[in-house]
Amino acid sequence: MLRHTMLFAGYEFGVLRRNLAWPIIGIMQPVLYLLLFAPLLTSIAPNGTLAEALVMFTPAALVMIALFGSMFAGFGMINETRNGVLERLAVSQAWRPAIILGRVVKDMAMLVLQSVLVLGVAALMGLRISLAAMGLMLLLMAVTGLFSANLSYGLALAVRDENGMSQIVQFFLLPLMLLSGLMLPMSVAPEWMQTVAKFNPLYYAVEAGRAMFVDDFTHSTVPIAFGLFLVLGVLTLTWSVRSLRKLAG
Amino acid sequence: MIIEAHDLRKTFVAKRGRGKTEEVEAVRGIDLAVDEGEIFACLGPNGAGKTTTVRMLATFTAPTSGTARVAGFDVVKEAAMVRERIGYVGQNGGVDENAPGLESLVLAGRIAGLSRKQALARAEELFATFSLTEIANRPVKTLSGGQKRRFSLAIGLVNRPPLVFLDEPTTGLDPQNRANLWDEIRTLRDQGTSVLLTTHYLDEADALCDRLVIVDHGKIVAEGTPEKLKKEVSGDVVTLRLDDLEGARKLLAAQPYITETQTEGESLRAYLDDGEHNLPALLRALEAEDLAIRSISLDRATLDDVFLKHTGRSLRDAA
Ligand SMILES: Nc1ncnc2c1ncn2[C@@H]1O[C@H](COP(=O)(O)OP(=O)(O)OP(=O)(O)O)[C@@H](O)[C@H]1O
Ligand SMILES: [Mg+2]
Repeated sequence: MLRHTMLFAGYEFGVLRRNLAWPIIGIMQPVLYLLLFAPLLTSIAPNGTLAEALVMFTPAALVMIALFGSMFAGFGMINETRNGVLERLAVSQAWRPAIILGRVVKDMAMLVLQSVLVLGVAALMGLRISLAAMGLMLLLMAVTGLFSANLSYGLALAVRDENGMSQIVQFFLLPLMLLSGLMLPMSVAPEWMQTVAKFNPLYYAVEAGRAMFVDDFTHSTVPIAFGLFLVLGVLTLTWSVRSLRKLAG
Repeated sequence: MIIEAHDLRKTFVAKRGRGKTEEVEAVRGIDLAVDEGEIFACLGPNGAGKTTTVRMLATFTAPTSGTARVAGFDVVKEAAMVRERIGYVGQNGGVDENAPGLESLVLAGRIAGLSRKQALARAEELFATFSLTEIANRPVKTLSGGQKRRFSLAIGLVNRPPLVFLDEPTTGLDPQNRANLWDEIRTLRDQGTSVLLTTHYLDEADALCDRLVIVDHGKIVAEGTPEKLKKEVSGDVVTLRLDDLEGARKLLAAQPYITETQTEGESLRAYLDDGEHNLPALLRALEAEDLAIRSISLDRATLDDVFLKHTGRSLRDAA
């Protein structure tokens, strides 16, 4: 089982290595946000410094790659529902969840790598965080990727149509983003928005990131974020494996 | 028996838009018995249910009812055992277009339980067998149609299965490539691999397979060796075009040397043995009744005539 997952992941890494330009382009957006948006936040930081603004905004920039990168991961799989690749794999000896998990492992690794690069840019701009905070943040990115990539593959296998899928992803992306306190902390939002945000898993990722960046590892959102994404990751994986079975009609 | 199927049925529930659904009876009771070491063909027009049948036997689609044992195991209850023993090449090929062929083939080999070294050796062997060695490192999307077909066949054979399913292996190939692929399929059989293939080419079924079933609308309409099936209809067929089709049909049906008549669109087909000798008599009979012939031809009966006999349609028009 693990062997098959790693075999598929290894194959996907090969595909990635031949197309390294894409993941690099993928981090341009969060990096631009760091460069052009974080400075705006200095005005609402307690002491008005960029370092403070970066503590507030860098976790958000990371969640953004998780969202924009992994949510679109499934697009590549839609074609494989038609060209017979998934059909062939489904009747091979492959452990079925590995067909999806292998790709998810690749997406998680890519996300962590992109996060390291974004953290590097933030450090150059003046972000100072502890090593523990950094390690935990990368781990949090990995589990966020576990959820969002699995969700994307599940969606791809259920919808099986590029147009339909892009409509659905677009539909959810904006509210998910705005209700996670990604741009501005939810604490400045009206009460009803704060209540709604509590139902958005990404809210916990952003808040846990901000807490960890100030070394507050016992903040309630930290265990919630890790637990939530692990559970959601398993649920969405189960969903996509079941959709894989439905492929046969 | 490498394949034994009893009364396989598959009904799809397809969406029709506006929330309505429609039931499609793709396969309506198919029995199959395929021997080891045999090339067995499933011949039928578009939509006959060939792909659905093969998918059920290859454990991709679960049958709505009926049972099947493939390589000794039940396709539903022991799917994992079946998958270890089959190769499957789907109608669309199922190869990743973006990766080099070598990588896909090595991955497939390793999934089937080979070590990296064994998988590499097996890949090399298969590339050589299918004359693909030169293009092993090229992304599959840069291969020609024929190369792609051969490559998908190579992937299907990576685990040295005793049985392979080939769903329309030669569709879209030029005559040269088709003939080459036939040779490769025959070689497989000679090495002891059983082959179940689907096709809508009569000449392909005729030239390649040991036995076949003719499938139409999800049911088997005829079964046997190509020779036996062709014997079901008389050896020769006269195809006539004339104005009074029905009158001519009645007249010819009454002739002692005519075994069967079929009208098909604008033409009339009359089956007979020893056509060369009986043709003059046939012409005289038509002349005596003043039936003007616009065109006439005498041919050997083919599997198409078998299909026509059983379904009342020509396979060429049946889609
Ligand atoms: N997943 C599906 N959902 C709904 N209907 C389906 C599905 N798959 C096949 N069908 C229908 O079942 C029937 C048989 O299809 P099948 O693909 O088995 O035919 P075929 O003999 O392989 O045809 P072809 O020669 O065109 O490949 C067709 O009417 C088809 O529309
Ligand atoms: Mg088909």
